Amino acid sequence: MSTVTLNINGNEIVAEEGLTILEVAKRSDIAIPTLCYIKGKPADNPCKMCVVEVEGQDDLMRSCVTLARDGMSIQTDSEAVITHRQERLATLSETHFGDCKAPCNLTCPGQINVQGYIAHVSRGEYEEALRLVMERNPVPFSVGRVCPRFCETRCRRILIDEPVSINHLKRFVADWCMTHDIDLKISKDKPTGKRIAVIGGGPAGLTAAWYLTRKGHEATIFEAAPKLGGALRYGFPEYKIPNEIVDYEVNTILRMGINIRLSQKWGKDFSLQDLKGMGFDAIFIGIGATVDVPFDVPCTDKANVYTATKFLRMINDGKDLDLGRTAAVIGGNNIAMEVARSLLRKGVEQVTIVYPRARLEMPANQRNVREAEKEGVQFLLMASPSGLCAVPDEHNRLKLDLIRMKLGEPDKRGKREILPIPESTSSLGVDTVVSSLGQMSVDGMMTGGELEEQLAIKPNGMFVANPRSAETSVEGVFAGGDAATGSKSVIQAVVSARRAANNINAYVMDCEKDPADNRFNFTRGKGFDDVSLKNFDGIGINLREKMPERPPEVSTQDFDEVKLGFTEKMAKREADRCLKCGCTAFERCDLKRLDIDLNVNINKTGMGKEPIYPIDTSHRAITVDPNKCIYCGRCERSCEYDALEVRAESIDEKGRPVGLVIDFKDHCVSCGKCVDNCSTGALNKNNRIVPIQSEEIREVRTTCPYCGTGCQMILKIKGHTLMEVTADPDMAPNYGDLCVKGRFGHNFIQHPDRLKTPLIRRHKGGPLEPVKWVDALDFMAQAFSSILGQKGPDALAGLSSARCTIEENYAFQKFFRSGIGTNNIDHCARY
Amino acid sequence: MTGLVTVLGSGAMTNTINGILDSDVMLVIGSNTTETHPIIGLRMLAAAKNGSKLIVADPRRIKLCDSADHWMQQRPGTDGALINALCHVILRDGLEDKEYIAERAENFDAFKESIADCTPELAEKITGVSESVIEEAAHTFAKGKAAGIYYTMGITQHTSGTDNVYALANLAVITGNLGKAGAGLNPLRGQNNVQGSSDMGCLPHFFPGYQKWDDEAAKAKFAELWETPVSDKLGLMATEMPDAINEGKLAGLWIMGENPILSDPNSDHARKAFEKLDCLVVQDIFLTETAEIADVVLPAASFAEKDGTFANTERKVQRVRRAVPPPGDARDDLSIINMVSNRMLGNRKGGFQGASDPIYHTVPPFAGEVFTEITKCWVAMAGMSYERIEEQGLAWPCPDTDHPGTPILHENGFPRGKAWLSAVTWNGPAELPDEEYPFVLTTGRVLYQYHTGTMTRRSEVLEASAPSAYVEMHPADAESLKVNDQEMVRASSRRGSIDLAVRITDRVSKGLVFVPFHYKEASVNLLTNDALDPKCKIPEAKVCAIQITKIDV
Repeated sequence: MSTVTLNINGNEIVAEEGLTILEVAKRSDIAIPTLCYIKGKPADNPCKMCVVEVEGQDDLMRSCVTLARDGMSIQTDSEAVITHRQERLATLSETHFGDCKAPCNLTCPGQINVQGYIAHVSRGEYEEALRLVMERNPVPFSVGRVCPRFCETRCRRILIDEPVSINHLKRFVADWCMTHDIDLKISKDKPTGKRIAVIGGGPAGLTAAWYLTRKGHEATIFEAAPKLGGALRYGFPEYKIPNEIVDYEVNTILRMGINIRLSQKWGKDFSLQDLKGMGFDAIFIGIGATVDVPFDVPCTDKANVYTATKFLRMINDGKDLDLGRTAAVIGGNNIAMEVARSLLRKGVEQVTIVYPRARLEMPANQRNVREAEKEGVQFLLMASPSGLCAVPDEHNRLKLDLIRMKLGEPDKRGKREILPIPESTSSLGVDTVVSSLGQMSVDGMMTGGELEEQLAIKPNGMFVANPRSAETSVEGVFAGGDAATGSKSVIQAVVSARRAANNINAYVMDCEKDPADNRFNFTRGKGFDDVSLKNFDGIGINLREKMPERPPEVSTQDFDEVKLGFTEKMAKREADRCLKCGCTAFERCDLKRLDIDLNVNINKTGMGKEPIYPIDTSHRAITVDPNKCIYCGRCERSCEYDALEVRAESIDEKGRPVGLVIDFKDHCVSCGKCVDNCSTGALNKNNRIVPIQSEEIREVRTTCPYCGTGCQMILKIKGHTLMEVTADPDMAPNYGDLCVKGRFGHNFIQHPDRLKTPLIRRHKGGPLEPVKWVDALDFMAQAFSSILGQKGPDALAGLSSARCTIEENYAFQKFFRSGIGTNNIDHCARY
Repeated sequence: MTGLVTVLGSGAMTNTINGILDSDVMLVIGSNTTETHPIIGLRMLAAAKNGSKLIVADPRRIKLCDSADHWMQQRPGTDGALINALCHVILRDGLEDKEYIAERAENFDAFKESIADCTPELAEKITGVSESVIEEAAHTFAKGKAAGIYYTMGITQHTSGTDNVYALANLAVITGNLGKAGAGLNPLRGQNNVQGSSDMGCLPHFFPGYQKWDDEAAKAKFAELWETPVSDKLGLMATEMPDAINEGKLAGLWIMGENPILSDPNSDHARKAFEKLDCLVVQDIFLTETAEIADVVLPAASFAEKDGTFANTERKVQRVRRAVPPPGDARDDLSIINMVSNRMLGNRKGGFQGASDPIYHTVPPFAGEVFTEITKCWVAMAGMSYERIEEQGLAWPCPDTDHPGTPILHENGFPRGKAWLSAVTWNGPAELPDEEYPFVLTTGRVLYQYHTGTMTRRSEVLEASAPSAYVEMHPADAESLKVNDQEMVRASSRRGSIDLAVRITDRVSKGLVFVPFHYKEASVNLLTNDALDPKCKIPEAKVCAIQITKIDV
C-alpha cells in the first residue's frame, strides 16, 4: 500500500494513497463539516461545506472530492474557510422552514417535552408519557392539577380553534398510572457516596431530592411538618389537590430511595452546622415561602382575623373553626382565591375578595379568579382596607374599613399607580377576615446557629441565592424554590430546584454542570402574528375536550376534588388535536447542529417564513416535508434500491431548488435508509412522533432479532421506549443497511398485547388466570415433578427457540439434560 | 444441518455475507433472498452489478431473477434432480476441479457412478428446466474462480431435504469451492439465532457444540461440568413430539419462544396433541395460539430487554444488549429458566437466589456467567468472551483467546478429514398433484412479515405494507377457475382448508401456487404436509397438493 504524507492544521499525517482529504481527516479525527457527503457517491449539487484551504491554491477546495496528495498543507478551519461555511449555512437556512421546538415546549418554564408526551398519549403509551414528564418534573400529579399552563397560551392551535388542553393530559397520564398502579422503574446512577441534606419536603425539596438521588447521591429530607408535601399538602386545599394524590406523589418520589426526617424544624431541632457535622456534603434549602406578609392596618390583632397560609394550614389540618356567615379576603393573589373558595366550603355564605386594583391586574391566574367567581365569590375592586378598629353592627363580628382607589398616571413601565380617593371611606361588615398579601420565607434573619446568621436574606424575606448556581452566601449551601424566588407556581419551584440539584451535583462531584438547553431555534413564527395561516391548510375545527367537573352548587358543599379528569377516550382525542409543531428530527438535524457550531445567527440571516409545499404523508413509512429540504441529495444517493428521486424545476441564484419534488418510486421497499441519511427533518419516519430533545437519550448497540443475517443496529432509547432504530455505516455485516423490518419492525416491544404477568390454568377447561411469579412457579414445579415421579424424565420435554439467545438456549438444554435427565430437547427452527 | 454435518463434519454457512462481493458466480437455490434476507440480497445484487454471474433456481420468478444470468424454474420438490444434473454436466464436460477432489474428497468414483444417469435430458423431464439452461448454468458455475451456493428452506423443507443438501455439497466439492473467499456452501439462516440454538445443543442428539449425545467422552465431560449424570437415551425431535404425546409417552412440555401451532405443518395435528398434555408451559412475549392452550404461561422478554448473544448465519457470535426493562412483571428468559431451575431442583446450588435488582428483576447466573460456562464446554467458542466481542462479533471456531475467529471454514481441510461425496438418489415430493388436488402449493415469507407474525403484525408499518394472506396464481390458472385478482378462494388439502384472496401474477408458473405462512387467519400450515425427511425429521412444508375453489359471495 502506498502512502502519502500531508499536513493538516499543522499535524503531519501519513495516509493511504487514493483517499480524499475528507476521508483522511475523518480517519485522523479531524472534523470537517459536510451536509451532502455519501461515501463513494459525490453530489451533483454539492453543499460546499467541506471546503478547506490548500496551500498554493487560490480557491478553497472541496475536501470530499480532492485527493490527499503527498506534501499537501491544509487548513480545515482558517478564517476564510469558516466565513465561507457560515455564508453557505446562512444561505441554506434562509429557505429552511419549520420549528425546531414547539412553542409549548419553549414556553414551559420546565422545558418539558410537551409535544413528546402528547404524542405518547395519542399512542396510548401513558406510562412512557409520564416518564417523559418526570424527566423534568417529578411532581406531575400536582402540577397536572394546579399548573398555570404557560404552554397553552402559546399553543398554535389557537389560530385554528382552541389550544390543546395540555395540562389536563398531563394529569390524565399521572392519574392513569396511579389507577393502574404502575411502577415506573426509573433508574438511578451508581452510588456516589455523597450525602445531601434537603431542608423542606415541599415541591422544591422533593424535586431536589429526586434529582440528586437519580444522580446516585444519598439524599435526606428534613421536614418541619409531620408529613411531606409542603405547599402541595398544606398550601393547596383538597378540592385542588386531594391528600391521597399528595400521598401517592410523595411515595412515587420516595420509592427512589430517599431518607426522610419528619417533624424536624430547621433552626429549632437542628442547624446547618449540625448537618455539616452529620457529614452531609451539601445542603439544599427548599423551605418555601410560608411566612405571611403581615396585614399592616390597625386592629388586626382581633379574633377572627387570620393570615392566608396559617388559615389554609388549619383548614388542611381539619381544624374546626367558627367562621361565621360572611368573610372578607384581602388580596388578589392565587392564595387569596383558594382562601375564598375554602371559606365557601366551610359554610360561609358570603365571601368578598377586596383588592385595590382592577380585576385583570390581580396577580392571581385569571383562571383561578374565574373559578372563584363561578363558585360565588364576590369581588370588591378598587378598594383598600384601612383598619378593623370600628365597632361592628349586631349582625357581624368585624367591621372592615375601606378606602376606594383610583388609577393615577402610568409610570415608566406603563403601570398606573393607584391613588386613594379622598374621603371615600366605606366599610364592610364581616365575621371573618383573612389577609393574603404575599409570603416570605424568613421574617427578618435566620436564627439558630452561626451559619444561619451568615445566610444573606433579601429585604423581601427570601434567601439570597445566585439564580444560575443556586449558591447562597454560605459555601456548600444552596437554595431554590419559593425560598429563593418568592411565591411562584409549583412548576417554577420544580425548575428552580432542578437547577439547584444540577449545581449541587457539580459541586459535590467537582465536575461540569449538565449544559443548559441551547436556545437556537428555527421557527414558523415567533408570535401568532408571524405564523402563516397556510400552515393549517386542511386542518378542520375540532374544539378541545371539556374537563368534566362537579357543578359549583355541589362542589362548594365539600372539599372533594372539583375537576374529575379526562377519560382515556377524551385524552386520546385531545392528544390527537396536537399540531406536532416541533421537529422530530431534532436530535439528528445536521443543519441545526452546524448552524450552532458555526455561530450562524438565523434570527439575523433569516429563515423560511411560510410553507411552500404541502407535507406529504402518502408513503406508508415516511413523511416528507419538502419545506425543510436543503437539497443535499443524501437521501437519493444513499438509496440502495434507486427508489427515490429528488429534483427541482430550477435552481435559484444561490444554488437552492425551486419547485422541489421528492418522489418515492413504486419499487421502494421502505427500508428507511434515506431518512437516516436526511440532513434535516425533510424525511421522517411516520412512527417517530416523539421529538427527542435535550434530555438523556441512550443509544444501545445490538443485533437484529429477525432473520439470520445478524445486522447490527443502534436502538435509540428514551425512558423505556424504543424511539428509533438506525445502523452504523462502519459496522459489519450490514454497514449501515437495514431492511424494513430492521428499521420499522420493533414496535411490538411496547405493544399493549405484551404478556405482563404469569398465567395459570388451574383446571383443564378452565380459564387462564393471572398470578404472581411464586404461584406460577409452584404450579409448574408441582406438575413437572409429579410427571417426573410417575413417568420418569423422558415424559418431559423442552422446545427451545431460535429467537432466544445462546445463553438462554444453553441454560434451557442444561436444565433438561442435567436437571430433569432427558435428551428431549429440540428447537423448532433447526432446519 | 444434518446434511452438512454428515458430509463435511460441520453444519453452518462456510463463508461470509460480505464475501458475496468477492464471488464470480452465485448459485441461489430455494432462497427468495431479497425478501427473506434483504441485506444479503443487496450484496448479491451489488455483486451481480459488479460482474458476478447470478444463477437462480426457483419455481417462482423471484426478484433476483430480474438480475440473473440464468434462471432455472424447477418444479417444486425437484431440486435434487436439478443439482444432480448440474454435477452430471460438470463431470461429463470435464469441468471439475480434479486436484481439489483428489486432495480433499473421498468416495468420488461411487458418486460419479451414482449420477451417471442424471442427464440434463432426464432432468428436464423431472424439473421442467430445459436441458440447455441446465448445461449453461453448469458451465457458468464450474468456470467461476469463486462460486458460492446460497440456499434456505426452499432446499431443506422437503422429504428429500437432507439429500438436497448432500447434492449441493457435492456440487461445491467437485468444483473446489469450499475453503476460499467468495465461494462456499451457505445455508442462510431464517431466524436470528438458529445457528446459536443449534450450537448450544437444543437438539436431541447433540450436546452443545455438536458433541454427540451418545459419545462417552462427551457424556463424561458434561456430567463433570454439570455435576450430574446425563441420560443414556436419545431424545425426541420436535416433530416427533406430537406422536409421543398421543402415545402417552410425553406428558409435560415446556416451550420457550415458539408458536408451533401456527408454524408447524399440519398444525391441527400438533394442537390436538398439545391439548392432551398433563402440563404445557409456554414462555413467550405474547399470548400466542400455543400459549392460549397452555396450562402455564410465563411472560418473557423481547430481544431489547435482555443481555446475551446471537450467532448469525455466518457463525458470528454477536452481542444482544438490554435497552429497556421488560413490561410489567415479565422477566428475561434466562432469569425465568433460573427461577424454574431454582424452584424445581430444590435449590441444589447455593439456595434460592432472589431477583437482584428492582428494575430488571434478573435472577443469576447472568448471561455473562453462562457465556463463560459455554466457552468451557465447546472448543470452537473457547477463545471468546464478552470483552472480545464488545465491538465486533467473532465467528467460530475461535479456539483460544488470541484466535481471530474463522470467517471462512475449511480453508485447510474439513473437520471430518476429507469431504464425503454422497451418492444421492433423488426422491420426489411425498405428495404430488392429482385430479382431486391439482395444484402444487409452495410456501414462504414476504419481506414485510416474519414467521407467524407475532412481532411484525404488531408493527404498524409492516402490517400496513402486507396486511393479509393471499395466494399467488398464474393468470392461466385464474382464468380456468374464473377468478379475478383479489377475489376470495378456498384452498384445501387433504389436511385442511383456508380462505384467502387471489393475487394473479406470472411470478409463479402454471399449476403452482404460493402462499405466505405469516397469517393466522389463513394459516397455510393447516394445509401443508407433515411428512418428514427420514434423516433430519424436517417436515415437507414447501410442497403439497391442493385444490382451489372460488368462494361465491
